[in-house]
Amino acid sequence: MSSCPPYAPFFGFAGVASAMILSTVGAAFGTAKAGIGIAGLGSFRPELIMKSLIPVVMSGIIAVYGLVVSVLIAGDLRPEGYSLFAGFTHLGAGLACGMTGLAAGYAIGIVGDSCVRAYVQETKVFVSMVLILIFAEVLGLYGLIVALIMNTSAIASKDIC
Amino acid sequence: MSEQVVIGKATEATAARSVLFKLVMFSLSLGIVPISSYFASEEYLWNGNSTYAAITAVVSANVVLVAYIISSVLEDRPMAPDTSAKTLLESKKQQ
Repeated sequence: MSSCPPYAPFFGFAGVASAMILSTVGAAFGTAKAGIGIAGLGSFRPELIMKSLIPVVMSGIIAVYGLVVSVLIAGDLRPEGYSLFAGFTHLGAGLACGMTGLAAGYAIGIVGDSCVRAYVQETKVFVSMVLILIFAEVLGLYGLIVALIMNTSAIASKDIC
Repeated sequence: MSEQVVIGKATEATAARSVLFKLVMFSLSLGIVPISSYFASEEYLWNGNSTYAAITAVVSANVVLVAYIISSVLEDRPMAPDTSAKTLLESKKQQ
C-alpha cells in the first residue's frame, strides 16, 4: 500500500470543489433572503437602501472566503508525488471552509432579512444589525482559519514519496 | 410647488446615479481586490508562502467591507436631520 496512490488527487479536487460550492450556496442563500427584506424596505424608504445592503456585502465576503481557500488548495495539487495524506487534508480543509460558509451565509440571510425589515421602523436597529452580522460572518472566518491550518500541515508533508 | 417637485426629482436622479456608481465600484472591488491581493502578495510580499497570502486576501476583503459600512453610514449622516424633520412634520400632520 503506497502512500501516494494515483487516486489521491481525487480528494484534493473534492476539497477544492466543496470549498467553493458550499460557501457559494451559503452566500447565495444569504443574498437572496436579505434581498427579500431589502426589496420590501425599498418600496417604503428608498434612502435607506445603501445601509440595508450590508447583509448582501457580507454574504459576498463569505463567497470570497470560499474562493480564497479553493485557490489556496488548488495551488498545491500535483499529478505526481501527491500523497493520500495531503489529499485527505485538503478535503478536510475544503469541507471545513465550505460547511462553515454555508452556516454563516444562512445566518446572515435570516438576520439580514429580519433586521432590514425592522430598520424601516426603528433606526437604532442598525448598530445591532451590524453587530449580529459580524458575529455571523466570523463563523465563516473560523472555518477559513481551520482550513489554512490544515493546508499548512499538508504543505509540510510534501516529500513523502 | 411644481418647481420644487422638478428640483426634487433632479436631485433624486443625480443621487441615484452616484449611489449606483458607488455600488458598482464596491461590487467590482469586492471581486477583484481579494484575489489580486492573494496572487500579488504571494509573489512579491511573502516569497511564495501561500498561507500568508491567503491571510492578506482575507484582510483585504474585510477592509473593503469596512469601507462599505463606513461609506454607507457617512452617506446617511447629512440626510439624517432631513428625515427626522420630515417624520416630525408627518406626525404633526397626522395629529
